[in-house]
Amino acid sequence: MYRFLRLPILLVGLFMAVSCYAVNDSQPTLTTEDDLGPQVAQPIEFPHYRHAGNRNTVDPTNSDPTKGGMEINCQYCHTYARRSLTAGIPPLQKCIGCHQNIPSVRDKPRIVELFKYWDAKKAVPWKKVHDLPDFVRFTHERHIKRFIEQQGRPVQEVCGYCHGQVKEMVTARRQKPITMGWCVSCHMKEHVVAAKADIPEGGTPIGKQAYWYTFQKPAETKNAAGELTAKGPNDCWLCHK
Amino acid sequence: MTATNLLENWASVRHFHPIDDKPHDPYKWAMAIDLDACTGCNACAVACYAENNLPVVGREKFLHGQSMHWMRIERYWEEDGREFPDQGFQFLPMMCQQCEAAPCETVCPVGATNHTQDGLNSQIYNRCIGSRYCSANCPFKVRYFNWYDYPTTENVWPAEMNRQLNPDVTVRGKGVMEKCTFCVQRLRAAEVTAKGEGRIVREGEVQTACQQACPASAISFGNLVDPESRVHKQWLTQQVDLDKDKQDKDQKEGGSDLRGYRILEELRPYPSVMYLERVRESAV
Repeated sequence: MYRFLRLPILLVGLFMAVSCYAVNDSQPTLTTEDDLGPQVAQPIEFPHYRHAGNRNTVDPTNSDPTKGGMEINCQYCHTYARRSLTAGIPPLQKCIGCHQNIPSVRDKPRIVELFKYWDAKKAVPWKKVHDLPDFVRFTHERHIKRFIEQQGRPVQEVCGYCHGQVKEMVTARRQKPITMGWCVSCHMKEHVVAAKADIPEGGTPIGKQAYWYTFQKPAETKNAAGELTAKGPNDCWLCHK
Repeated sequence: MTATNLLENWASVRHFHPIDDKPHDPYKWAMAIDLDACTGCNACAVACYAENNLPVVGREKFLHGQSMHWMRIERYWEEDGREFPDQGFQFLPMMCQQCEAAPCETVCPVGATNHTQDGLNSQIYNRCIGSRYCSANCPFKVRYFNWYDYPTTENVWPAEMNRQLNPDVTVRGKGVMEKCTFCVQRLRAAEVTAKGEGRIVREGEVQTACQQACPASAISFGNLVDPESRVHKQWLTQQVDLDKDKQDKDQKEGGSDLRGYRILEELRPYPSVMYLERVRESAV
């Protein structure tokens, strides 16, 4: 009786057994073309590549000699990133503060538009590009502290982990999925703990503040170069609120 | 959490209270409430409503038992033979006890409530499917279910009033369970600041809303593993041990003069809240 069920049950059982092991090894898929966010129309077509892009002399691959970037630090305008949850949009004063001293571009259509807002004493109604759900608490501050201030990695590289190559864009567009699985794919990686040489006790302290992915306290892990590594937090309540 | 991991560590899954290889380090958030100082003024409950975006449900739903007070003042009449206006009573502020071996955590079908490394019992609203199993299993009855969509259909916060909502706390929709979080949004903000400065959160740096509002300072809150914290000192003085279901002081003959106790300790949920109260003749 029910002999015809034997094979399906066997197959289902095999599938479940295999997937139990497969889950341990699988990594979430990397960023694909589909993860591109929508092109958000901004009130002024802000050229990120012109502000943050590489300078021509430094970067010979930039074909147009007149279109080199200024290599401005991301944190010069998005100044709240290093001290709060949000990276923030700079006030109009910051744009004008530079641009009133740059007469060469003053008659360009975008700059004319910018000064219209300034003269009307109105803020530019920028649209949000990276919008997280309300139940997520993402802190820019912690990531900036960890990777830029404690490990001294280049600012544009660190911002690019989540925001992509903004320095090559005109108006910013979401390049990464910014989903939970994508966040976790990075948090589950072993990251080097060591701080920059001139910071005596920087980096993420392992041991005292290690994050546990199993029920046992993890042993210290080291990478091929012998450096101490640790995973990012996996506690639900660190990101969900 | 994979099935292999679960099976290999099954014994550890049930009891997540600290043992040698799982110490609370560097944080274990805990509370002590002095009932002899509590006047039952309800300021803590009001502060909780303001801090955590709790909807005020109104008389009818309250009578149905659908109120959403994460912090409630329970009132116990003293059976001392006196009639109502003269009859004595005692107050007990009751909120989520953040149990170390929480009964609610083990029964959640989707893992929406689990234990954090700093000893909190987390509740993830967007993961919750509203089975209400956790509430059924909670011995303290401190979990509250959203029977209605308070922000929209019930219009608890009409236009303009929604600006009082705390942006650091999710506004819960219909069909999710919620409970006291020990003001986790404040804890996380303090932890991030402290970590950026390469230290741990200092005593007094973070307060819960109820603690902040208590006019009698009956509530103290802090890091239990920090020897400098008031909570640590209180637990130590009262000889209440987090890991025990029967305190040593109560095993002694004649009992103890110390005031500290935990509610329903014998059920072994290992609660993180200690109450202090002198046993009075009239209450025995």
